[in-house]
Amino acid sequence: MENVQKKLREEAKNLLEEGKVDVIVGYEQGTLPLTATPCFISDPLEAEKLVWNAFCVQNLAKYVHDVIFLHRESQKRVKPEDRKKKVVGVVARGCTTRSLLIHLQERQYDRSEVFVIGVPCTGYVDKKKQSALLEGEEVLEGVLANSELQVKTASGDRKVALAEVLADNCLTCRFNNPLISDLMIGEAAPPMDADREFEAVDAFEKLPIEERWAYFTKEMAKCIRCYACRNACPSCYCKICFVEQTQPRWVGIGEDETDTQVFQLMRLYHMVGRCVDCGSCIAVCPMGVDLRKFLKKLDKDDLEMFDHRAGTSLDSPAPLSTYRENDREDFIFNP
Amino acid sequence: MEKRLIKKDTLADIIAKMAGDVLVYAPVKEEDNVLFKVLEAGMKPLTRYANTKNAPKNFFFPHTEQMMKFTRTEKGAVFAGGEGKSPEAVLFGARPCDARSFVLLDMLFDQDKYKDPFYIEKRAATTIIALNCVHPPYSTCFCTSVGGSPTSSDGVDVALTELGEDYLVEFLTSKGEKLLKYFGDVKAGDAEVNQRVQIGEQAAREIKSHIPAAEIKPILDVNFEHPYWATIHQRCLACGTCTFLCPTCHCFDISDETKGADGVRIRNWDSCMFPLFTMETSGHNPRPTQKERWRQRVMHKFKYYVDNFGAIACVGCGRCVMYCPVNIDIRKIVEDISRL
Repeated sequence: MENVQKKLREEAKNLLEEGKVDVIVGYEQGTLPLTATPCFISDPLEAEKLVWNAFCVQNLAKYVHDVIFLHRESQKRVKPEDRKKKVVGVVARGCTTRSLLIHLQERQYDRSEVFVIGVPCTGYVDKKKQSALLEGEEVLEGVLANSELQVKTASGDRKVALAEVLADNCLTCRFNNPLISDLMIGEAAPPMDADREFEAVDAFEKLPIEERWAYFTKEMAKCIRCYACRNACPSCYCKICFVEQTQPRWVGIGEDETDTQVFQLMRLYHMVGRCVDCGSCIAVCPMGVDLRKFLKKLDKDDLEMFDHRAGTSLDSPAPLSTYRENDREDFIFNP
Repeated sequence: MEKRLIKKDTLADIIAKMAGDVLVYAPVKEEDNVLFKVLEAGMKPLTRYANTKNAPKNFFFPHTEQMMKFTRTEKGAVFAGGEGKSPEAVLFGARPCDARSFVLLDMLFDQDKYKDPFYIEKRAATTIIALNCVHPPYSTCFCTSVGGSPTSSDGVDVALTELGEDYLVEFLTSKGEKLLKYFGDVKAGDAEVNQRVQIGEQAAREIKSHIPAAEIKPILDVNFEHPYWATIHQRCLACGTCTFLCPTCHCFDISDETKGADGVRIRNWDSCMFPLFTMETSGHNPRPTQKERWRQRVMHKFKYYVDNFGAIACVGCGRCVMYCPVNIDIRKIVEDISRL
């Protein structure tokens, strides 16, 4: 991992110096122990800030979309002959490349506007798991060494195995290596436990409908409508989200539980065949809503009913944006 | 001023008993979160916790609040009042930083020129019992940089301090003294108060985060336009986590919800981080990007509030630092600005 980071810094510096990219979206060290946070580097000298480790959580494809669209907006005020193209470099693991593929499928930008710096991934740390294992104690200092988190808390030194705190979506990830890249850094990462990807969903499907509904309402009741999930999601790029449309207003803005449920349900269904299970929405949720249970169910339906996996190739768009004569329809007539 | 000593393990029962008489808002554990909630009959509050995830402002300034009802009739609209009179209540377990937030919110919601009846009514009907910090709960705490302290009594009616096996209970206001009957009859004296003072001083020394919060006002005064503002916001998700968990953020949006001829007017939390926050009817947005929104957040807390009320609109609880999903750290921003 350290070698990947070293190489990443070198390559990033070269790319910026050679003018192959205008900006690189990557990760830098956070201000809190055991954290990394997205960063934007356009000065070659700042490439030294880049990190690649198990604390790099966010799916950076979201920012690629942001940067390109902000740039396009600014170019509107420039004479057509003076308009410049901006090339965004992005540090991308498997799930990030799947999101980029979705953007490309959906014609959000041109392939030449993004430069993919592929990195192998062995999963990231789920802060909520980490906190639960430490019984909510704050990490005062910490390092990751030999697949072990060595942390200092108020009650003393603690050790936690990395495998215990890896995010659920990482543990069963099928695409932990980049699917597209312009430059690949490091060796391919070993496969994760992908055969178990639907285990939790299978178990949930077997529950009686009342219990499933009770679980849904319980989880949604935690939501404070901060929209961090939507805003962190690379597939949620609508300029104006339906939840913010006011003429007419589709969803109330108050705390009414049905409004919250409608917001979440609508967002979930917009994710069919467009969710790459990157876990960003879950990682950013301040209240710990279990969104993945429902997203993964839709993912399973996507696979079983339409033989489709989100963002795995340029020519397999999401089932809800394509039509085939032999599309299944039994669930419409016999739900 | 009355002072009492109670045994540490009796506190949860005392508060639970209070909940049988009045509305009590207290920290409880829900799955992995410690949250302020209404204490239902038979529930006991947490008495050992670092701090809650949500701020206690929710109690006086709820996420959604009904302002009035209306009905359309053939003779025109008929209006009715909001949710009715606020019941007598107790807010238990606020940390001194959070209790201080009410002093700051009072400046806005209860000023000479404008009075917010919804906030004022609930605030007046509520007694605040604070739990002093014997040690700073988090390394991100910075209350002493913004005018607070681990044992600040600002906004507190009854202060509890852990002294070994006991709690020192100090009744600081006449409102607080009305709760005297719950706390037994073991009187405390100057010795315990001295102990509390020492504990407070020690806790203040243990605070690790110090930021030049008071020093950046003159810098902000002259730097509305500065290249620095283009450097904070890039990774911001534009979510409302920081503002929704903040004890002092208080912006709201008013919305009418109707069903047939009946409707309610509700006000809801809003966030300066949301693009819709300043969107005008014409479609023009004077804060078009996250850059302007971030400048607003910093300016509002460290300049405009000081201009308007003479106080920084931050209590140093560190929630926005800990829970920002992309680690935008207000401590670093203040630090950076001080060097502009």
